[in-house]
Amino acid sequence: MTAPAWLDVLNETLDACAAHGRADLAERLRRRRDQQAPGTRIAVVGFPKQGKGYLLNALLNAPVCAVGDASTPAVPTEIGYAPDAAATLVGHARESVPVADLAKELEIRPPGSLRRVEVGLPRELLGTGLVLVDTPAIGDPRSPRTAATLDVLADAHAVILVSDATQELQPAELALARHIRTWCPALVLALTKIDVSPDWRELAARNRTALSETGVVADVFPVSATVRQAAAKAGDAGLNGRSGFPELLNWVGEQASRPIERTRALAAAVSVRAAAVELVESLQTRLDAVSQDSGIDQVTLLQQAQRRTEELRRQNVRWQNLLSDEITDLVSDAEYDLRERTRQIVRHIDRTFDEGDPVQIWPDFQTWLEENLAEAVETNYNWVSDRSTWIAHAVATSFGPRFGQAPELPLTGSGVDSIPEVGTPKIERFKIGQKLFTGLRGSYGGVLMFGLVTSLAGLPLINPVSLGAGVAFATKSVRDEGGMRLQRRQALAKAAAQRHVDDVFIRFSKEIKDEIRQVQRRLRDHFAALSDELAEELTRQRELIIAGSADRDRRTQRVKKEIDRLAALHRKAGALGVTAREIRELSA
Amino acid sequence: MTALDVRELVSEAAAHYRDRPHAVVMLRECLERLEEPLRVGFVGTPGTGKSTLVSALAEWPTRALRDLELFDTPAPAEHVDATVRLVRHLEPDELAGARPVGGSAFARQSAVNSVLVLGRADEVGAGRIDALLTAKQLARRAWREDPNCAGFQGVIAVAGQLGYAGRALRDDEFAVLRALASVSRQELERHLLSVDSFVDDPFPVGVPPESRKHLVSRFGLYGVRLAITLIRTGCDSRLKLSAELVHRSGLGDLRDTLAGCFVARGEALKARTAVLRLESLLAAEPVPHGDRLAARVERFAAAAHDFRELRLIADIRGGRTALSGEIAEEAARLLGAQGLAPTERLGLAPDADPAEIHAGAESALVRWRHEAERADAAHAERAAARVIVRSVEGLLSLFVG
Repeated sequence: MTAPAWLDVLNETLDACAAHGRADLAERLRRRRDQQAPGTRIAVVGFPKQGKGYLLNALLNAPVCAVGDASTPAVPTEIGYAPDAAATLVGHARESVPVADLAKELEIRPPGSLRRVEVGLPRELLGTGLVLVDTPAIGDPRSPRTAATLDVLADAHAVILVSDATQELQPAELALARHIRTWCPALVLALTKIDVSPDWRELAARNRTALSETGVVADVFPVSATVRQAAAKAGDAGLNGRSGFPELLNWVGEQASRPIERTRALAAAVSVRAAAVELVESLQTRLDAVSQDSGIDQVTLLQQAQRRTEELRRQNVRWQNLLSDEITDLVSDAEYDLRERTRQIVRHIDRTFDEGDPVQIWPDFQTWLEENLAEAVETNYNWVSDRSTWIAHAVATSFGPRFGQAPELPLTGSGVDSIPEVGTPKIERFKIGQKLFTGLRGSYGGVLMFGLVTSLAGLPLINPVSLGAGVAFATKSVRDEGGMRLQRRQALAKAAAQRHVDDVFIRFSKEIKDEIRQVQRRLRDHFAALSDELAEELTRQRELIIAGSADRDRRTQRVKKEIDRLAALHRKAGALGVTAREIRELSA
Repeated sequence: MTALDVRELVSEAAAHYRDRPHAVVMLRECLERLEEPLRVGFVGTPGTGKSTLVSALAEWPTRALRDLELFDTPAPAEHVDATVRLVRHLEPDELAGARPVGGSAFARQSAVNSVLVLGRADEVGAGRIDALLTAKQLARRAWREDPNCAGFQGVIAVAGQLGYAGRALRDDEFAVLRALASVSRQELERHLLSVDSFVDDPFPVGVPPESRKHLVSRFGLYGVRLAITLIRTGCDSRLKLSAELVHRSGLGDLRDTLAGCFVARGEALKARTAVLRLESLLAAEPVPHGDRLAARVERFAAAAHDFRELRLIADIRGGRTALSGEIAEEAARLLGAQGLAPTERLGLAPDADPAEIHAGAESALVRWRHEAERADAAHAERAAARVIVRSVEGLLSLFVG
């Protein structure tokens, strides 16, 4: 026997489901594939209290299903053919119970101990291998009962959805019908309890409309189990006709009479189509997400990267110019500042020694000079330090807010400590001996000069006049000598102080220039590194974008191909389904 | 704390809120509501028979429901004092959705204001003649066993349509029913099999199809069957049949429950609504000294013995206490399940003289004090006994002064 044509399509779809991480769909398909049941399986499903049990019992003319006012079965019951009526509880083990006691037995079992119940009945209807499956009532979507029912649907070839005639189809019931129709080739709605509903005809019409509006192809069979039972009891064929069951049984028979291979092919075709549609939907969603992604990112990102590279290049030129300009300015400004400060000091020195006698004021002056020089140098240093920080910030800011982090710029020292001490100039004092000697020299000249003049007048060389003149000359000589000595001392002190200031200026103007150059070097290194880093990052980003785009393109291509393949599978499955139907119709 | 205290509390709150007009309007409305009839809201998903039930109850000229106003539109919770919640089936999913939801501590503590109704009891058991009995059993079982039903003052099966039709049974309807009942059981049986056969088939007696149609639309097929059976078994007058249908439909049970749990405790329930609204106002818009009002709200909850009585009655009736049999009946009676008058509580004749009442109360007090102090009883049992002792003490306090 050759493998049926649908098997390949199903296997291929199954692989696709597994490959795309849809284990749930794969599992459903696997169950379709591996189904070995000899006959058609029809599941009876519905929400609580709609009359499923009554319907099944009436279909089979046997009290198989528990028709409880309160309890409903929590596990599926599979009803198939057996020459003698028998029921088996399937849990961890199999246990036979009399069919008549089934309901009672089920009630005393602890919940969760059973998986399903198998019932065999000697009914002609079931002779073709047909299995009717009673399912737990659907309710809360999270309850295990609902899960058990949905599980049964994966194996079912046809479904009877049960809803009673006391209320229109609810939204949840319509959604269930839609779900069933997607996965099962055949679905009908059994409208139960029409015996107690005065307006079941209008209701059936409304339900038909609701179903077709939901996009569900399903016949509606209004039935009454009560009437069917009464008809069976009375053997009344006419009454049985009014129960609505003959039509429903016809439909069941039609399902059962179709060769099982065809039924399975049909079911497989529908399942493949459903799985393919679901899979394509999820792939399409992914594809949309990807293309949306690429729509935003791909081109724009590359453009952004390009723009940022150019921006960076411009930035490089900008910050380098800025740095060198600022540093040049700083050097000249710093020098000028120091010079200005020292000149003020020098001016003060001049003023001081124009009037003061170094002998008396030098110690005080020395302290003042040292303090002022230190202050001048320190202020200048601080000023340079501030300007350097400002420059660093200015350059950093030109890199944009993200990189606006300037490096630390510690100057190597304020320099104040290394200011040399002011050397004390050699200052001569006008001592008493010198004064005496100078006075004697002056008086000697005076006495001699006036003595010679007065000797002409006949006076002796030493006379009161010449003595008086000698005293006067002595006094003048001492005074003149004192003034000259002071001036010399002042000139000496001035020169010494000025030399010192000059020394300090030369030394520190050099030092400050060095510092500034160091600052310049440090800033240049820092920002050059930053610039390199940015450039590198941009390059990396561009590479990533380009690589990602290629990868994404490949992926998108793959998903698109996959969708095409699934669409082909969907078509193939459709063709198979049609064949299965046509053969059925021909044979019917 | 009495309704008077609640009035005082709400008035005082209004003074605190006098600079907020909407709050004052709300509080004034609360005060007015205290004078008005108790408001009962009927809620449930469409198709559970709310309107039918409301019409059936509202048009009932009975003393028991005199002080009641019924709403079948889903009014906001704060506009009704008590709730009748309808479900179609007693399925776990449906019950889980119907469970009263909590609120503040006070709201939960005093949540003795809702009743669960299985709305279309005649549909239970595919319209068998014992459907209503089965439905009542189901309701009782659900109340006792399903934790989802524990928050209700009762779970009652009601066939609203049948009750309504039965209560308003007309002479012509009765005549038709009697004509139908005159046909032999065997012959009629197949005509009563379904609505179709009842309406369409030629009939052995001269009842035109229109009357049959009218009848089945009023009573439902189940109702027609029941009515015919009842006529056959002795309900041979319109009044008798009407009374029996109402009784069987469960409408009477619902009325008694509403009367016992809601109308009798109307003052307490209305006060509860007012306090709840005050509580939510205090929470939403705090005012200076609002905490003092909140404390008084709390005190009201703690002191309101009515709520404890109602809750304990529900627990006893729902089988959630250790009490059973006669002693459970006595406990429920003392708690006021059969009426709040001293004679009703003590199970005495309405005209019993005060000495008799005093003696009865004293002997009940001794008995239940003993129960409350039994060392071998579980904590819950003793707590229940203490509630009963408090109720009996309330009776005795009438004699003081």
